[in-house]
Amino acid sequence: MSAPESAPETRVRREHRTPPRKPRPAPTARGFSPLRIVGMAFVWLFTALNVVILYWLVTAAFKTPIEIFNKPFHLPYTWFERGDPFRNLRYAWENAGFGNAFLVTVALVAVSSVVIVAVAAPAAYALTRLGVRGSNPMTNFFAIGMGIPFQTLVIPLFIGMADLGLTNNLFGMFLVYVALSLPFTVFLLTGFFKSLPDELEEAAAIDGASPFRTFFTVMLPLARGGLITALILNAIGLWNETLLAIVFLTDNANFTLARALFTLYGAASYQSEYGGLIAGVAIVVLPMLVMYILLARRIITGLTLGAGK
Amino acid sequence: MAASPQTSRPAPVTSPEADVTSAAGAHLVRKKRLFWPFLLPAIGLYVLFMVVPTVATVVLGFTSWQGAGDTPEFNGVGNFTELFASDAFLYSFLNTLLYIFVAGVGTFLLAFLFTMVLREMRGGKLVRAILFFPNIVAPVALGMFFSIIMIYRPNRQGLVNYLLESIGVDAVKFLAPENVTWVVIGCLIWASAGFYITILMAAVDRIPPYLYEDADIAGATPWQKFRNVTLPLTWDVIGVAGVLWTIGAIKIFELVFVLAGPGTYSPPIESWTLGLYVFDRSFGTAGSPEYGMACAAAVMMIALVSVLVVALRRLMRRETIQF
Repeated sequence: MSAPESAPETRVRREHRTPPRKPRPAPTARGFSPLRIVGMAFVWLFTALNVVILYWLVTAAFKTPIEIFNKPFHLPYTWFERGDPFRNLRYAWENAGFGNAFLVTVALVAVSSVVIVAVAAPAAYALTRLGVRGSNPMTNFFAIGMGIPFQTLVIPLFIGMADLGLTNNLFGMFLVYVALSLPFTVFLLTGFFKSLPDELEEAAAIDGASPFRTFFTVMLPLARGGLITALILNAIGLWNETLLAIVFLTDNANFTLARALFTLYGAASYQSEYGGLIAGVAIVVLPMLVMYILLARRIITGLTLGAGK
Repeated sequence: MAASPQTSRPAPVTSPEADVTSAAGAHLVRKKRLFWPFLLPAIGLYVLFMVVPTVATVVLGFTSWQGAGDTPEFNGVGNFTELFASDAFLYSFLNTLLYIFVAGVGTFLLAFLFTMVLREMRGGKLVRAILFFPNIVAPVALGMFFSIIMIYRPNRQGLVNYLLESIGVDAVKFLAPENVTWVVIGCLIWASAGFYITILMAAVDRIPPYLYEDADIAGATPWQKFRNVTLPLTWDVIGVAGVLWTIGAIKIFELVFVLAGPGTYSPPIESWTLGLYVFDRSFGTAGSPEYGMACAAAVMMIALVSVLVVALRRLMRRETIQF
């Protein structure tokens, strides 16, 4: 509604025109151009496709292979009629070791995410708020780590870890996960710490709080939102991590869910155990779905934060 | 680099008589003394687990080395000439470029199309949230899901062929080696679109609405609005998104491994990516390992990602627009 003369410094090309005679149509009236209709139809179709895919996944987890392939859109019935509706989930949970993998993954992901944030938060604080020269190059040095594909470091890392007896070992996996998640987490948290106001820190200093205490009692609580976001994003990333788990974990007892799923795939497609396989996929995906439904906004803004700046 | 913390003078914490400026100065010194203790755990782990292994990979890329138990021996650029003479590597390299460029262009076109429509659409937030979800699903799970719905097996077709046959179209062997790269590109576009839509939409949402109102008054078509308002004002974000895409696309591995192959060992070489090549030559179960070659291929990955990111930043550089 503002005057058309505004924003002269933008590169927006605009022809000089006399003001239109007719007033702009009401917002409800526009939007019936054919292009828009087609565009909106496409967007909704694409969105509907995603919902259908989710429906297919959840129902298929309760179906027999014949139902999966011949009645893809029906609700499951065979296992229900036989009085064993959770047969596929049980297969994955018991026969394919997903029960154990679930516990391993929950523990590993929880401990790793907490430690990642505990290590990254002081580093991000040091890089942004202590006014030390060289902080910026150092931050960039961390950021480069986000661009290193894991394939390029996994071979020497594996050899080194094997020498220390830390391969096929959950503690070794934990160390690898913590270290390799640091670049992203430090980078994410520097953004949060940068955005905090100076005043509270100064007030704490004037009140005689030591810098150490200022960090713990003033800055950390202020950055709580960022810390929680970092925690969630790391938990999601590690829950889904597959490549490193394939390389470092070889014993079924140590398998994480993604690793167990990877192993199940070969065996299940060979035996046409598609019901069990989809149940396995569902066990990996559904916790993420629950988390996403609860925390969608935080996850989306956290993951896309770096790009918007 | 910062002054070493040991050289700073002792802080007069216990003297309440110290005047304000020296107290403030002392506080600053004490603050700076936190730098290394706070940074050291993170930077130590980062250097030890990421920087050192990456440098080691670069060095080992120039050696002939079978794997554990064998000693690496320097052999110059031998690995690289061998790489470029091998079909497996050439397929890997070509496919990786396809994923970066074809899937990248596809994803960005789709994302742009969505931003054009979503900007003035009701329910846009919901659409964005739904489209974003595949980004937090394990690629290995996505791959399995797609491999099941794309199975080609007469009479018991996967979902996609089931739909094709139900509308009278012949079923397609989606997962055959000659097709699978294009299938993965499609899956990749589908799975990543939500992320890039969100990034671009966040940038679009910051554009002052009066610019669009102006454009409306001037009678601009949606394309003109996109070309002359949206594109110039989101240029920087597009540049960053392009870098993120390149970094993500270069390490594609699980999706291809699961979709193109049986899952227990590597798929046919026609479908390989650089990430898959490195894995197959080191930890993959097919054939005997060749760690030296795997490291050389990994060096190619680093080289490719560096060149592309630098080129992209150059290409996208221009004066910032204030708005």
